Amino acid sequence: MSTTTQKMLPLEPPSVGGSLFASSNMLTLRAIRAIQRVPATFLPTLAMPIFQAVAFAGTYFAITKIPGFPTDRSINWFLSLSGCMGGAFSGLGLGFSAIRDIESGFMDRLRMAPTPRIALLLGPLLSSLVRTFVVLTTVLGVGYLFGARPTQGVFGILMFYLAGFGLAIVATGWGLGLAYRFRDMRGAALMQLTLFLVLFTSSAQAPMSMMQGWLLHVARVNPATNILRLSRQGFLNPPVGGVTWENTWGGLLAIVVLGTLTMWFAYTGLRKLDD
Amino acid sequence: MTTAVLAAATRHTTRDSLRQTFALSKRSTLEILRQPALVAPSLIFPLFFAALGASSFGRAVGKLDGLKDVSSFLEFSLASTLAQGVLFGSTTGGTALATDIENGFMDRLLASPSTRIGILVGRLAGGSVFGALQSIFFIVALYPFGVRIQGGIIGAFIMVLSGALIAMSIGGFMTAMALKTGSSEAVQGAFPLVFISLFFSSAFFPRESMTGAYKAIANYNPLSYLVEGLRVLTLHGLTSQAIAQSLLIPIAIGIGSIALSLRQLSKRLAQQ
Repeated sequence: MSTTTQKMLPLEPPSVGGSLFASSNMLTLRAIRAIQRVPATFLPTLAMPIFQAVAFAGTYFAITKIPGFPTDRSINWFLSLSGCMGGAFSGLGLGFSAIRDIESGFMDRLRMAPTPRIALLLGPLLSSLVRTFVVLTTVLGVGYLFGARPTQGVFGILMFYLAGFGLAIVATGWGLGLAYRFRDMRGAALMQLTLFLVLFTSSAQAPMSMMQGWLLHVARVNPATNILRLSRQGFLNPPVGGVTWENTWGGLLAIVVLGTLTMWFAYTGLRKLDD
Repeated sequence: MTTAVLAAATRHTTRDSLRQTFALSKRSTLEILRQPALVAPSLIFPLFFAALGASSFGRAVGKLDGLKDVSSFLEFSLASTLAQGVLFGSTTGGTALATDIENGFMDRLLASPSTRIGILVGRLAGGSVFGALQSIFFIVALYPFGVRIQGGIIGAFIMVLSGALIAMSIGGFMTAMALKTGSSEAVQGAFPLVFISLFFSSAFFPRESMTGAYKAIANYNPLSYLVEGLRVLTLHGLTSQAIAQSLLIPIAIGIGSIALSLRQLSKRLAQQ
């Protein structure tokens, strides 16, 4: 008994850095194990982007025939939307988990644990990146089976992953921030709705050159358009496609700015839990 | 004398059954209308998709097969908007029935001297009324944006009637699901199946522009023909084929789905 106690309680408290790493690591592992133990919480995140890629590519196949469309493969166009959607919903999934933890009281126990508070953000963030990697790789594989072919080699695929990871960071911050503020499933509805609106009012379905009316004005100022451009550059034909700095910097900037703002939103939300 | 008394009793029972069915229909209609949080998404999202499609694919009009004789993409989208909204809304009735089962209200209804069929018909009638109201809403909401129904008032009436029938036919499947599982979560879980069946049809883009396996699936999907019937009423006017497609397809689906839900009701009653 005493031996067990000694093993569980170290003689000296761990350093802040060590504790942060260990706590974040444990929270990441917990979220990853949840995929295996409660697959119903992760399967929609995986299935929805795959369905979307296949269904959109099939339904809107003919738009590639419009002169000036930047690819002759509709799956090449819609794969990036699915990748970004997958990354975003992987991040939001951690927001849903946070709501479940708050409702079940587990979050209170986590908050009472002698670990840096930032671990409660870092753990979910790391696990959302792991989830995103699984989703992006699956979407890419299924997309390949349905005829998607990168036009810019490995660098193009890297950009696809980069955009997906970026949106996962943004969505994790947004999801956790809303979860810590609403503290019930009302927050989940708002998370999905906002993300859905932001993604679809961008160049999600058609290139800017094809758009007309209100959507063109909205898509022009929507940062999701830049992130989609970052993701798509490796799957489109030049001159629109091609891994170039011009196609990259806007997306990177959007990810950095939105990621910082949403993670700050999550951090202040976490502090509000103490009120 | 005895015969006359029995006949009077039978007449009374039939009248009572009708009254009960009407009361249950009114209850289910009001139940849907009094929950704006449940109703709003099935009205707003189809309109959002219509606006999105019109801005995204407006330039495809006149260029692609199936869109060459179309004046605007929004007019082309009216049929899919209506079908989409009514399909989404039809899950609401099934979910409400499952909630009745979960919270024990269904048991109280079954214990009361009310007609069994009335419980089912009342629920489906409520969904149908909502489907018709949704159809009117979409036609009116898109009118200021230049969407006109070439079939005129009769065409619009057939579209509204079709909306009511679609709600009843798909509501039948959702009711069967509710009666089988008794779980509102399971009924909600069936929603993606409706969504997928709509996407693998010609609801959002013409069949003429599709190729390969996708076109083959859309060719076998009855929703393709239903939406195309509604589309002809909007874009080209009244034709007997369009009227038949708009009304007979949901009736045929409805016969199957209501038979299924009646079977599930019998099974549930046998278990009581």
